[in-house]
Amino acid sequence: MSSDFTSMACGPHFSETTGDRNPKVIFRRRRAEAFSRDGDRIHVLLESDERELVAELARQFHSVVAADEDPDLTRLYPIAYVGDCARQTDYADLVHEDLVRTRLEAADTVVITSQSDSLDDGQLDAWMQVLNGLRLLLGTRLDISEEDGFDPEAVDAPQRALLAWLGFLLEEAVGAASDR
Amino acid sequence: MNAALSITETPDIDVDSREETSTESPWIVLVWNDPINLMSYVSFVFQKLFGYSKAEADRLMLDVHHKGRAVVSSGTREKAEMDVFRLHEHGLWATLQRDDR
Repeated sequence: MSSDFTSMACGPHFSETTGDRNPKVIFRRRRAEAFSRDGDRIHVLLESDERELVAELARQFHSVVAADEDPDLTRLYPIAYVGDCARQTDYADLVHEDLVRTRLEAADTVVITSQSDSLDDGQLDAWMQVLNGLRLLLGTRLDISEEDGFDPEAVDAPQRALLAWLGFLLEEAVGAASDR
Repeated sequence: MNAALSITETPDIDVDSREETSTESPWIVLVWNDPINLMSYVSFVFQKLFGYSKAEADRLMLDVHHKGRAVVSSGTREKAEMDVFRLHEHGLWATLQRDDR
């Protein structure tokens, strides 16, 4: 880890000391808001590298959902009829394509609007669907349980930090959506 | 029954067999606790999909969190199935079953 990371909170201004090195640090924010509603529009208050990360994750989400093979996707397609195989099969046959399609459309919307200054409510819904879908996918992959604390020394600490960051964004999006 | 079900377990509930005993018997939609979905998001989805007040949605969400599940809607099988689909669309773990309470 470079010293640029620790200087973020109280050191000299980022650009004055790092020049063109531009280290990829995503947790530089000091304000506590990611989205802010103004009437019908929701302002996106993310930094450019955060926007790039959101877009990249949405692209990856799109590709994993479209391939529809990853076993960690199961949490996105829950069982509706427990103990009733026939009805469950009918249900899955009926809805699976729709569930895939709405997620692909939402991922497209997030990629397209990742650089936007503001979103409408439909676009914010898409952001929430993708942020939550990514959390379900990543959380399943990490086998998250409610008792889990954060251990910075753990081998999967970067993925868990990413899960927490997605949680922060989703929480913020819910707050902005609830103001409607 | 575990209070907090993990995502790898199957809900341990009794579901009527496939026989159509009565088309009138109502169906209920259950939402199950899981360790990933955020409490604020779950409450938001309940308000958005079913028109619950914030207080009522929070109460149902806390039931899910503390008791492991909550009934969030009921009606014909077709309506319950549509509600389950909308919950699945939003990433929540929902099931439907005949109301045998």
